Amino acid sequence: MDIKINETLDCKGLSCPMPMMKLAKAMKGMKSEEVLEMIGTDPGTKSDLPRWCGKTGNTLLDESELAGGVFRFLIKKK
Amino acid sequence: MSESNKDPGIMSQLHKTFFAKHWPVWVGGIVLGTLNILLFAIKSPWGASGGINNWGENVYALTGVFNFENAAPLGTSFYGMLCLFLVLGSFIGALLSKEFALRIPPKGELIKGFIGGSLMALGATFGIGCTIGAFFSGMPAMSGGAIIFTIGLFIGVIIALKYLIWEMEKFPKFSSGKSYNFFAGTGKSGIWQKWLGWIVLIITFVIAYQYSGSNKIMAWFIIIGMLMGLISQRSRFCIVKAFRDPFMTGEADGSVGVMTGLLVGLFGFTIIKYFGIGVGDVALRAREMTWVFPHFFFRAAIGGFIFGIGMTIAGGCAVGTLWRVGEGQVKLWASALGFLLISPISKLYIVPPIVDSLPKSWDFKSFLPDYLGYPGAFAFITFIILIWYVFVKWNEKTGKFSAY
Repeated sequence: MDIKINETLDCKGLSCPMPMMKLAKAMKGMKSEEVLEMIGTDPGTKSDLPRWCGKTGNTLLDESELAGGVFRFLIKKK
Repeated sequence: MSESNKDPGIMSQLHKTFFAKHWPVWVGGIVLGTLNILLFAIKSPWGASGGINNWGENVYALTGVFNFENAAPLGTSFYGMLCLFLVLGSFIGALLSKEFALRIPPKGELIKGFIGGSLMALGATFGIGCTIGAFFSGMPAMSGGAIIFTIGLFIGVIIALKYLIWEMEKFPKFSSGKSYNFFAGTGKSGIWQKWLGWIVLIITFVIAYQYSGSNKIMAWFIIIGMLMGLISQRSRFCIVKAFRDPFMTGEADGSVGVMTGLLVGLFGFTIIKYFGIGVGDVALRAREMTWVFPHFFFRAAIGGFIFGIGMTIAGGCAVGTLWRVGEGQVKLWASALGFLLISPISKLYIVPPIVDSLPKSWDFKSFLPDYLGYPGAFAFITFIILIWYVFVKWNEKTGKFSAY
């Protein structure tokens, strides 16, 4: 998938609620249609993030698990 | 047929049902509420701070620091064992879903974990209970003090959340920096996690079986504790989330999950108390007053407030801390350490002189059916939960009280 990433947010090592707080803050500073790449290690983000996207109208473009238990999400701002 | 298209076997399907994805929080709430009723039926309701306090006393007894030589050995403490097997149950749940990893956060997060855990210990000592004993069990136990404790929690959570947002804006480096992740179960090489999960599960049942001859109640506390940990991990059941998220991202799912558990618990607890089920040697009145603590209202208010601050800073309430310990979140290891080290000291040295200076009339047992009757108390607590539900759902839609 060839997606232009505008910003990357590193939440590795952080647990709830820091990843979602940092994500919400980062998304606030982005423009419509821009894409944020978020990487983290908290399993809770796997269920929190899609729910948050559903609520806010942002789009979760992709979700994958990288080596070493790192999760990667691509979110497009509404 | 290629490997990827192969139809999974029946057992593999069953495994996927439970361990491929997280469960909805309300499912966790229903099951945890039910297990809470079972604990009450066989002895007394769910509690967490007492168990963690027992761990702390044993640590001090082992090291010879302070005067805890008479601490109940862990193997004989119902709640100490319940908490221990809750951690193991979460460990099992995380392994079976290949979600276990040793996650070491940046230094600042470790510090917040320890401080949060210490404040939770202080709050639980003041409030005579934590988010489980004085809230998740206390509300269904129809304790007036539990309602005051809950109000204290709300205020503490809102203040601590404001601090977290301030910290993130002003000192973002405090929650960033070097972190490490070990033993993750990613990909095919992570299959060892599933095997280890089954082994720990079998060991748990063997230990419970060994207790079944001499201490039947303990055998069931071990099994129920393990199930509580597994279910909490799979459903991400966390009480701080229920209180915090409506004011953070506006999410209501965590709150609804906790409300579900409260309602299930309320239904079962009311029946047990009303009919005096499991009275045994205990008088009916004593059964009715179970988990109605002498903390109405000053101790409950202060305790809830301090606990609310602590759990928000730590990122996990008492049970949220325990199951995240089992999942390998080292920040919550720091929180559990703060909790277990500070709890016995709070109980012995810090809280008693403060409580002694309070008017005695402020610390009594308030059992709502004494004032409202059973139907009135049941309706009153249901009404409070309903109001809470309407608030979080309305706020989820409008975002009026959400920070983001």
